Amino acid sequence: MRQFKYALVFAGAVMGVPHAVLATPAADTIVVGLSADIDTLDPAEISSRDASNIAEHIFTTLSSISVDGKVTPRLSDSYTVSDDGKSYTYHIPPGHTCSDGEALTAEDVAYSFNRAADPANNFTGNTPGFIFTSIDFKGATAPDPEHVVINVGIKSSMTPGFLTEVFIHCKDSYEKMSLEDASTKPVASGPYKLVSWTPGSEIVLQKWQDPGNFKTIDYRIIPEASTRTAELLTGNVDIITNVSPDQLDAIDNSGVARVEKVQGTRRMYVGFNQSTSFTGKGAEAIRKADVRRALQYAVDVPTICKQLLNFDCERATSLVNPPQGNPDLKPYPYDPEMAGKLLDAAGYPKDANGVRFEITLQAGRGRYLNDANVVLAVGQYLTDIGVKTNVELMDWASVYVPLIRKHEAGPMFFLGSGGGLWSALYDMSDLATVDSGPNYTNWDDPRWFDGWKQIEAAKTPEEERAVINEMLKVFHDDGPWLLMYFQPDFYGVSNRIDWQARRDEVVELFDAKLASK
Amino acid sequence: MTQSHPDGPFIDPAAAGLADTMVALPPQRRGDGWRRAWRSMVRGRWPLLALFILALLILAAILGPTISPLDPNRQNIMTRLEAPMVADRAGHVKFFLGSDGLGRDVLSRLLYGARVSLLVGVTAIVIGGSLGVALGLISGYFGGWTDDVIMRIGDIQLAFPFVLMAIMFLVVLGPGVFNLILVLGIGQWITYARIVRAQTLSLREKEFVEAARALGASHASIMFVTILPNVIAPLTVIASFNIASVILAEAALSFLGLGVPPSVPTWGSMLAESRDQLIANKWWLAVFPGMAIVLTVLAFNIIGDWLRDFLDPRLKSNG
Repeated sequence: MRQFKYALVFAGAVMGVPHAVLATPAADTIVVGLSADIDTLDPAEISSRDASNIAEHIFTTLSSISVDGKVTPRLSDSYTVSDDGKSYTYHIPPGHTCSDGEALTAEDVAYSFNRAADPANNFTGNTPGFIFTSIDFKGATAPDPEHVVINVGIKSSMTPGFLTEVFIHCKDSYEKMSLEDASTKPVASGPYKLVSWTPGSEIVLQKWQDPGNFKTIDYRIIPEASTRTAELLTGNVDIITNVSPDQLDAIDNSGVARVEKVQGTRRMYVGFNQSTSFTGKGAEAIRKADVRRALQYAVDVPTICKQLLNFDCERATSLVNPPQGNPDLKPYPYDPEMAGKLLDAAGYPKDANGVRFEITLQAGRGRYLNDANVVLAVGQYLTDIGVKTNVELMDWASVYVPLIRKHEAGPMFFLGSGGGLWSALYDMSDLATVDSGPNYTNWDDPRWFDGWKQIEAAKTPEEERAVINEMLKVFHDDGPWLLMYFQPDFYGVSNRIDWQARRDEVVELFDAKLASK
Repeated sequence: MTQSHPDGPFIDPAAAGLADTMVALPPQRRGDGWRRAWRSMVRGRWPLLALFILALLILAAILGPTISPLDPNRQNIMTRLEAPMVADRAGHVKFFLGSDGLGRDVLSRLLYGARVSLLVGVTAIVIGGSLGVALGLISGYFGGWTDDVIMRIGDIQLAFPFVLMAIMFLVVLGPGVFNLILVLGIGQWITYARIVRAQTLSLREKEFVEAARALGASHASIMFVTILPNVIAPLTVIASFNIASVILAEAALSFLGLGVPPSVPTWGSMLAESRDQLIANKWWLAVFPGMAIVLTVLAFNIIGDWLRDFLDPRLKSNG
């Protein structure tokens, strides 16, 4: 009987204490649940969005992209461009330091750029692999402690935007470090410094200079979507990324958290890999522009958005995020009859079994919103018009990513590519050359690739815009992507926190604060 | 005559000497065994229920394409996540057990899933059992270095956690029904090999084996014609338990996305697909395939228990 009483008291105590009280982080701490782990914090090696979002708090940059897509000052307060458009001089005001006390000057900025480009380091991150190839980076010098000159090989209006993605760090501290230490023991130039990092589990940052309202940022790695949601609802985390579309209502109705929904900039598409390494009737068919165009009509993208992503979307007209796209282009409508007619005309009538040709559609699982279901739905739409589609879903990191990197996914594959709002050229630079890393389709249409020379030769923004529009029309009509949608981003946010989500997948926490009661 | 295991439940058929028991049983009239088995089942009640469940499972597997109300792979994203027994405006119920995240009929997928579960379970056991029996016979009969090599290979395999090994193989070979069966089958051989080896070690010294040898029978004939029939009984018990664990392993691997392709409905992959929906209260996506797995595994385990008791009643009285 006594034991029974104790049990009752214990049960009452547990039930009487609100869960939020048991789990809520401290008032000076914000906890973020990420869907994927990071592999490095070396500023020149970072390539994933999650790692970049963490690094954004550890390292400063010359300038940054604001919520509305404008280049705004950060470390540098101003810059000038040479007459030929290939030399940028940034002013670095004095008074900045790194977390180890070293002064942060123009020399450190030049070092940050040159270190990333140094072939001896063999870096493959976003800075050397995407930014530097896009602007044809030539080198950086510091004529005095307050000025850094960055030389590029291509005259382009998007260079200042690209340079916002290069993380700045202090020369003396990084020169002393091995590459291994640089990837795990960053010396901060931004407002937060690394306190601890448990791979696969947790990354803790602590504020050492402004800006930032929280003393501690605790990133927790929670790969499984339902677990992230459960952690949010029990108050263990304040912000979660990549909320599953089917869990939006559960969060919104919970009374303890809400979903911040934003139209993201990630371009989701089904790629037509035109490599001749793929054989068979289907692989040959998608090398023809007529067939690719026909397949655009077969997929009901707005319905996929509505039903599978819980979001109303307009189908993409090209690889460029609106409003930077070609305004004259209209999204392909869902018209399976038209798709059938075009395939008949292209020489692919249905056989006795109702099949025109068979093709494989490959995809990774768990990387994008409801990706497996989206891919299966696309497969069903294509099968419905006689293109028998065999969907192959693979483990994202261990199987699919290596295939994609080798340009061997396909003949059809599902992928998302991060985009921007500040320049059409930024989004278009996925296909800067036939051999570009992100040209996973092996597309080589000269009408597109010759366009880059015309862009460089353009004397006015209007001339440049005309070329861009022409290239986007080629992409729309005969391009290598089955155009899908710009992925919405769903962030689960605890009611404890005031924080606004951005469209470009940047999770910036400087302005996040405790909600007023 | 060997004694039953002192700890109660049956652990090792070799230790229990089931083969000896079978050899020692007096000759019976044809059909006597079946009648005894049936009476034993009726007396136990649970085995009868298990048999009923398995009969339903087999029927579902055989008649799945005929009796399933809809194409299990037919998607309609406009009718996704409909709850069970919800009638449309005309009062017609389209999805008796609800629809999944792509608007596919859960009942039809369950019926087709039974086919895959049985196919994978039985075939993997046949593959693993055949390999294990052959290697166990060779190992026990010849002894010496042959025995050492085969058993050490088995020890090495047992040193790897099975699921880890299966994941490794399936990542290399790629998912698919055939590869899944192969991996699950190969993962089981050592269980059979060890039991058969232990039995063979004892049987090879028996008079009837000596007699066969004296009559000039070949090694293969002695192993497969003279010894093998005497080790079948314990293997049957082990196989019935093993089918259950293989079905669970298939479900686990499909849950991890390493089982069969997405176009093949399996209970494990249905469970995996339900993960994101549980928190959204779409309970039917997890409950029905979960129940199917639980009932099937339970049925095989009950049958295994009954078989063990039936083949060696002394264990039951001690256990």
